[in-house]
Amino acid sequence: MISPRTLGNLRREFRSSALAKLGVLIVVVVVGVAVLAPMFAPHDPTTQNLDRSQLPPVGFSTTTNSTSTEMVNGSLEVINETNEINATLTYPLGTDSLGRGMLSRVIYGARTSLLVGLLGTILAAVVGVSVGLVAGYYRGRVDDTLMRSADVMLAFPSLVLAIALVGLWGRAAWRVPDPLVVAGITPEMPASFVLPGTVIVVVGLVNWVWFARVARGEALSVREQSYVKAARSVGASNSFIIRRHILPNSATPILVLGTIQVAAIILLESALSFLGFSGTTLSWGFDIARGRDYLASSWWISTVPGIAIVLSVIGINLLGDWLRDALDPGIGGEGGSGGA
Amino acid sequence: MALGRFVLKRALQGIVVVWGVVTVVFGLRFITPGNPISVIAPLDASPETRQAIARELGLNDPLYVQYLDYLLGLLQGDMGYSYISNTQASAQVFARLPATLELAVVATIVAVVISIPLGVLSATRRNEPADYGATLFSLAGISTPNFWLGIMLVLVFAVQLEIFKTSGRGPGFVSALSMLVTQGSAAGLLSWLSYITLPALALGTYFTALITRLTRSGMLDELGSAYVKAVRAKGLPETLVRYKHALRNTLVPVITVLGLQLGTLIGGAVITEAVFDWPGLGTLVITSITARDWPILQGSLVVIGVGFVLINIAVDTLYAYVNPQVVYE
Repeated sequence: MISPRTLGNLRREFRSSALAKLGVLIVVVVVGVAVLAPMFAPHDPTTQNLDRSQLPPVGFSTTTNSTSTEMVNGSLEVINETNEINATLTYPLGTDSLGRGMLSRVIYGARTSLLVGLLGTILAAVVGVSVGLVAGYYRGRVDDTLMRSADVMLAFPSLVLAIALVGLWGRAAWRVPDPLVVAGITPEMPASFVLPGTVIVVVGLVNWVWFARVARGEALSVREQSYVKAARSVGASNSFIIRRHILPNSATPILVLGTIQVAAIILLESALSFLGFSGTTLSWGFDIARGRDYLASSWWISTVPGIAIVLSVIGINLLGDWLRDALDPGIGGEGGSGGA
Repeated sequence: MALGRFVLKRALQGIVVVWGVVTVVFGLRFITPGNPISVIAPLDASPETRQAIARELGLNDPLYVQYLDYLLGLLQGDMGYSYISNTQASAQVFARLPATLELAVVATIVAVVISIPLGVLSATRRNEPADYGATLFSLAGISTPNFWLGIMLVLVFAVQLEIFKTSGRGPGFVSALSMLVTQGSAAGLLSWLSYITLPALALGTYFTALITRLTRSGMLDELGSAYVKAVRAKGLPETLVRYKHALRNTLVPVITVLGLQLGTLIGGAVITEAVFDWPGLGTLVITSITARDWPILQGSLVVIGVGFVLINIAVDTLYAYVNPQVVYE
């Protein structure tokens, strides 16, 4: 499926583009951190410690002056208090309102984002590519029906539909044992990881349309190629032709679209968990929402997870740009349903 | 008359899509656990009361009767009554529509006004500092969640600098404008600006970034093409080459993608409204989901879907007008 020429293009584009290198670097770091979260996180991200709540990140120690009056020996006295809130290296990115380390939460949040992004994209791709290939290959009435239903899907903004579906279906989640903890490498970390099941299904279901459009376009052009006609003339079945000829030839644009979609779905997941429509509390969007209440006193609670989202999405978008420039699938700016 | 036929054909397709939207919205209730009666009836309601409510809502009717009732009601502008407040759902939905439209329109205007010149600048000064700046901005813009951007704007401009309002809508554009006309006072407009600036920036940034990116790459393609070389060789001033020829052709794909991304704009408006307590359709959708207020939720979704279809027909028509090849396909 990957020809030497394609590899050559990828390598050439990678060498000439600093942004491609940056993208690959960011993605490798984020994936590494997400997979090995229990090893990188300095603390259990769910353990509360109210004595150490709202500590600022390193470099942002604050001093607040408060004035209060108190009765001392029958007379009213004004007491000036200076409160120093010192940042500590134990919590390099500070702590949230319940004393949980922001660094650990951001590291574990990467897992949620990436898992939802990847699994959601795979689901969307499987549904969308199947629909698109069938529509483009058979054309005619099948095509009309399938593509009209794709139009109906497009008429609902994916975020609105996702909110409606998660809100109505509930927030089912699976507890998945953490292999690193089970293996005894990091016994002090949470033994299981919450996978927001409904969210994954829903983000997959609301984003299949983009894959359907691209796969259909590819099927429409590939089915007219002479080797497909040749295959048909020697009696190959339709499903054989779709699987062996049309699908492999659509792989490049689907791969590029898939990369952009992971970024779009990460943004969508963060929006859902920001609004409280998620199955897990270990999520960047969820922390941003919690931090809103402390914006005036502890700005970092909302700020830190947001920076994590922006950096990861930039990395994935750069990766997508690299693949697009090197493979040139001709899908332009379609399919990035981000903006959430 | 090819354009007229094209618009008619798109309108007919649009009607089919709207019918699909309504069907999905109607069906949503039947693939969702939970019973509307339990939303309306008090916890200690007797079986007779429950039956009465079911009869009144037509819940005992066969599915196709309920479906036809819903379709016929919608055709007459009847979306049913809110389960919570027992007022007309359509009145609530349409009362919220102007706020959302206002936000979306202002965000779009901001996006178009900033992004197209920025994209052109970026393409004509390729590999200069201005180009790097614009590229960096657009990369960050398409990668930033707008709700987080909104919170950061609140943090800087409202909490720290206290310039703008953090929540609510204020007077609204129409009443602010009428205040300017009737009383000659700009106070209304200033107040309107203090409310809408942050939400519009939060919502518009993604689109500004997206259109900048598209304009830049489109302009680069066009400026390198043979016909541009030809008009340049003819001695046409560079300004004319750029704006009359290259930019015009660049706008064709920009319009296509914009049309496709309108859903994102509406979806983005929903979450922006949640951040800024903007009293629009988005906040209505969220509260109606939490309260399981079906008529309100269904009505809002239908209005959003129909709006999307209408805007898309408008975009397609504009597209066909700019690029006449489309009509003859």
